[in-house]
Amino acid sequence: MAAATAPDRDPAPGPSRLDAFAEGVGQSFLVIAATAGGMGVLLGQIVRRLFPPRIDKTELWRNLYKMSVKSLPIVVVTALFVGAIMVIQAAPIVKRYGAEGLLGWGAGFGTLREIAPLLTALMISGRVGANNTAELGTMVVTEQVDALRALAIDPLSFLILPRFISITLTLFMMTLYADCLALLGASLTGDALLSVSPQSFYNGLVGSGLLGFGDVANGLFKSFVFGLVIALSSCHFGLSTTGGAPGVGRSVTATVVASAAGIFIIDYLLSFILG
Amino acid sequence: MSASTHQRQEADHEDVPRAAPPSGPIAALGATALDFLRAGLELYSVFVRALYYVFRGRREKGALLKQMFEIGNRSVFFVSITMGFIGMILVYQSGLQLRRVIPDFTMLGATYLELLVRDLGPSIASLILATRVGAGIAAEIGSMVVTEQVDALRMCAADPIDFLVVPRFLASLIMTTMLIVWASTVAFFAGAATAYFAYDLSFQTFFNISLIDTGDVVTGMSKCIAYGAAIPIVSGYCGLSTFGGSEGVGWATTRAVVNSSLAIIVLNFFISGAAFLIF
Repeated sequence: MAAATAPDRDPAPGPSRLDAFAEGVGQSFLVIAATAGGMGVLLGQIVRRLFPPRIDKTELWRNLYKMSVKSLPIVVVTALFVGAIMVIQAAPIVKRYGAEGLLGWGAGFGTLREIAPLLTALMISGRVGANNTAELGTMVVTEQVDALRALAIDPLSFLILPRFISITLTLFMMTLYADCLALLGASLTGDALLSVSPQSFYNGLVGSGLLGFGDVANGLFKSFVFGLVIALSSCHFGLSTTGGAPGVGRSVTATVVASAAGIFIIDYLLSFILG
Repeated sequence: MSASTHQRQEADHEDVPRAAPPSGPIAALGATALDFLRAGLELYSVFVRALYYVFRGRREKGALLKQMFEIGNRSVFFVSITMGFIGMILVYQSGLQLRRVIPDFTMLGATYLELLVRDLGPSIASLILATRVGAGIAAEIGSMVVTEQVDALRMCAADPIDFLVVPRFLASLIMTTMLIVWASTVAFFAGAATAYFAYDLSFQTFFNISLIDTGDVVTGMSKCIAYGAAIPIVSGYCGLSTFGGSEGVGWATTRAVVNSSLAIIVLNFFISGAAFLIF
């Protein structure tokens, strides 16, 4: 019987196009599920090590310096230009309605709630997140992490926890800083382009009563969550690096892509939840 | 290039502790400025040589199509997802903003479409593309540099810029424009759906192209071309200037993403400003 059916099956051994497509979809779902699960487990392990906190202080300071202080130039440039662009984009609308007094509010609303946290997070994920993955990935493929384990040092509390805290803190502080600088850039551009004086820009921002502390807090809360996303994905992909030097490059790309997608999706959810 | 200056400085001052700046703040500032200038010149030279080889280079069959597939088709899913979410966020936020002043949503769609065509579509889509495409280009070229495949190319009298950068440059020029148009469409429809569900704004009111004029379209298209050119040039330069093994590839990737994002933001400022003054 087996001999009778064998000729029937032999001519089409390869899977059809539809099967291949379905397999591809299934594979990518499995990869996404494994990544999300891995990140969840990592988050759980990190949270468990926070109570009571056993953090290597030298490592924490070193990472904070490397991540925050060294990122200042790009954050300054980004924030100033972004503020300027917000005003340039609002300019035709302001001119159409003659609403010079509302320029500060219009630029401030978008900047504080949305653009400053979002773009700062993208820049920090490109610089700090990618660099963190590259470092951790190199440590993994050169078996330095295994060496730590062999010396009975917990890699999670020695390597990951300081980085996790540093990235989250860095993004929070940088967003605060970018908020101020973007508003400065916006007011300077408004003065140069639309001859709205910085005083009336400030009045539109604060005096109109349309913009409150809630808007600033909204943006800052978002930046905190973005920081968690960047920290989790960069540490996860760094630790799960395999395959030598090319693997490190693949991990870095995966980190950047995953944190960009994660930031946008979480931004959307938070915008609706926070209202 | 920055590695060589650091090595030289450290060799000159071996007795000075590492933590202290090598030779005074002014010297450090000057070294930074020189590094910056040198990087700018090199970037410019990569750009000019890429332009030259676009017209005079040797054609490798299929390289352009392969890169178009890598840059374009592989990014469609990622760009669509992120721009869809961005469209929903933007319309939701501008609705909130509008509700505080005048509860009149009739012009929401028209204003959103104008902003999308003129600025947000090209800029945000290319910031997203810069992370994926830029990182990919830098990682690929960077690992070729550290495994000395680029030196092998030079030995064969093939300019790495002709061979590696130009196909990516052309592919990115074409595919970035297409992806931006597609992503803006996705963002617009996502925004329309959000306006319908969140603010009960009908699709007829939202689909309003009365504010779009030639200036908006020209600005948006010139941004597409400028960003499409900037991403491969900056990332290709970062990839070609890789040094220091596998860790160097990671650094090159990082620099590619950061510098192409910066280039996009700075170009956006200049093009937007010029467009505001012209139109």
